[in-house]
Amino acid sequence: MAIKRFTKMEYKSADDMVFGEAKYPLTYGLGQKIGAGTVVPEINFAPRPGAEKNPATLTREYVDYITKDILDRAVTLGFPAVQLENEWIHQMGNDPEKFAKPVVAGQKALMQKYHDEYGIALSIRHTCADPRLAEKGLRPGMDKTHMYPEKTIESFEVAAENGADVLSVETMGGKEVSDYAILHQDIKGWLFGIGYLGSMDMEWIWPQIVEVAKKNKIIAGGDTNCAGANTSMFMAGGYLDKDIPRTFSAVTRCIASARTLVAYECGATGPDKDCGYEGPILKSISGKPSAQEGKGAQDAHADLMGNLIAQVCDLWSNESVEYHPEFGGSSVACWLGVIGYEAALMNTAKQLKQDKLLRDLYAATDSYRSPEGFCLRYDNAYKIGQAIVEEGNDIYLRSRAAGLKAAELIAESNAKGGLKLSKHEKDMLNKITTDLKALPDSASKFEEQCLKEYKNVPMFNPKNYGL
Amino acid sequence: MLDISSVNYDAIFRRYDILVEAKEKPEDIAAKILPKDALLKKVAEDVVFMKYKDVEADTKAAMEKYKPEEVIEKALVKGMDVVAELYGRGIYYLPHVMVCADAMDKGIKLCEKNIKGERQTKGKIILHVAEGDPHDIGKNIAMVLLRSAGYATIDMGRDVPVVDVLDLVEKEKPDVLTGTALMTTTMSAFPRISERLAEKGIEMPFICAGGAVNRAYVESFPMGVYAEKAAQGPVLVGKAMDGWDWKKIRSKWDDVVKG
Repeated sequence: MAIKRFTKMEYKSADDMVFGEAKYPLTYGLGQKIGAGTVVPEINFAPRPGAEKNPATLTREYVDYITKDILDRAVTLGFPAVQLENEWIHQMGNDPEKFAKPVVAGQKALMQKYHDEYGIALSIRHTCADPRLAEKGLRPGMDKTHMYPEKTIESFEVAAENGADVLSVETMGGKEVSDYAILHQDIKGWLFGIGYLGSMDMEWIWPQIVEVAKKNKIIAGGDTNCAGANTSMFMAGGYLDKDIPRTFSAVTRCIASARTLVAYECGATGPDKDCGYEGPILKSISGKPSAQEGKGAQDAHADLMGNLIAQVCDLWSNESVEYHPEFGGSSVACWLGVIGYEAALMNTAKQLKQDKLLRDLYAATDSYRSPEGFCLRYDNAYKIGQAIVEEGNDIYLRSRAAGLKAAELIAESNAKGGLKLSKHEKDMLNKITTDLKALPDSASKFEEQCLKEYKNVPMFNPKNYGL
Repeated sequence: MLDISSVNYDAIFRRYDILVEAKEKPEDIAAKILPKDALLKKVAEDVVFMKYKDVEADTKAAMEKYKPEEVIEKALVKGMDVVAELYGRGIYYLPHVMVCADAMDKGIKLCEKNIKGERQTKGKIILHVAEGDPHDIGKNIAMVLLRSAGYATIDMGRDVPVVDVLDLVEKEKPDVLTGTALMTTTMSAFPRISERLAEKGIEMPFICAGGAVNRAYVESFPMGVYAEKAAQGPVLVGKAMDGWDWKKIRSKWDDVVKG
């Protein structure tokens, strides 16, 4: 399948973007509509340790406990639509036929029952595992120990054939270099790992996912740079954390958006993955529905943009919660309540034509809490999107452009007294700008330089990327 | 977009990080810890101030007067002591530590070439990431911090089968084993390792950490000692080297990590 690059913005202005509406809405699953005028809660979950003991215990955990609790609570609270997300655990991806198939089929059968009985719109996203290891080989035929590349592709087939409505994945390409780059505050290394190698890896895997989805008449959703940009964001952390400066994570996020876009260029239709905080940038470029997570995902982690990131979402997620009891019911039921009520607020605002006001209030509360949130504020996300599409045909140049635009926006805001950067954050921002400006003007020169510079990074093997 | 210029953000959130931002200079703190001897001081400063290109030449110069073991302990590791102090005070960030450690490693490799036999270290640590788990950044950070603190480390990598961990522990007889995991369904490898070690009559502190890992879980199986973050690794391992068994480390855990 030919890769169709984005060289222009699908939205004419940032203000055209709002939650619950996408330029290219989707209909799928059991009466589900996404980006078509409402925000839908997307509930994600993880089984308890030990549930993975055998296929029967795992299926019981996922179907009889988790899925049933979710569906009961959705009906109890009167939610008109819910999307479930199953992020596959290792055992499912390692042996899809044995561990995943009964779970996928069992969840869908139960959803069908509730849909038939109550008319609730339901769908399920299966985010298959990407267990591929760079040191073993990322492409078929390379990993003789685990056969992970082959199993990754098989996972999509098993999911699609047994009940998935949406296929997603958190691809790991370039992570061996990006992890090194994070620990060395090396923006060039990050650009090489994620902007370049990560994009190449997605160009390999996403046409295959799209093909599987088409064959089974389901949706090829989207990706996320969870493996890279979220590692960076969580290490940058909050105001007690001192692992890496938040200006670094902000710029890495924006570079990552140029990479996550590749799924759409390979034919995926959205919705992208909730943990891809780069979603507002992707939506501004592509017009495709976006899943996001923030204040309703405190079960999984803290971020510094809990309200802001709701601004242009189409699905509102809890990220993931381990199944366990709370006073108010099981964890999945409780967190569905949190995200479902937020979606209800957004949907009421839409009906009262106050959605843009609510969007701006969400954006306002966290505008200056962190450089990363600031870059993802929809007006800035749009500007970064513009920088990407101006160089849209070149995965290197557009990644560099995203990074430079992010650095420029942060510096401008700091100069005006909006963002207040710490000394570390300022020093890092200056270094990033200098380093990015010093990069060559062509992908071939960049590749040549990086293959020399990063050849000794542990686990990095150019053959994984066809280099 | 709504005009937000009138929002008083001090009432919306507080930048506690800026409020407590350290005012001390690295040079002032380093001066209190660095060796007095000029040759050793130069090497230690190469580590503290990330003079990656100078460290080999300065290490060679120091070895003309001092034994390689002394250069390691009194200059290279001492330099990392300063780095640890700066990191603890929030003056250095983690990437500084990594780059400093790279410089230290470069010097240590040079020294080791000049040591007859094997270099004496503070202890031996085996690190691994749980079977089925590819997330290894935490393990890599922990390894650098442990090496910087003077321990010999054996890195088993990521997605390591339980049986491989058991085999290597039996063969290498480390002082401490560590395991990290990001996911709830991969961390269940830890109690299996603990159980199988006990069956073999092996007992040692088994430090477990990672995104999904929590203290209650780690303390639910024998030998398990929880680490909230990689930076706690050296202090917890230090207690094991002081002769504390896993039960004592666990019972005094709060005091140990605070200290």
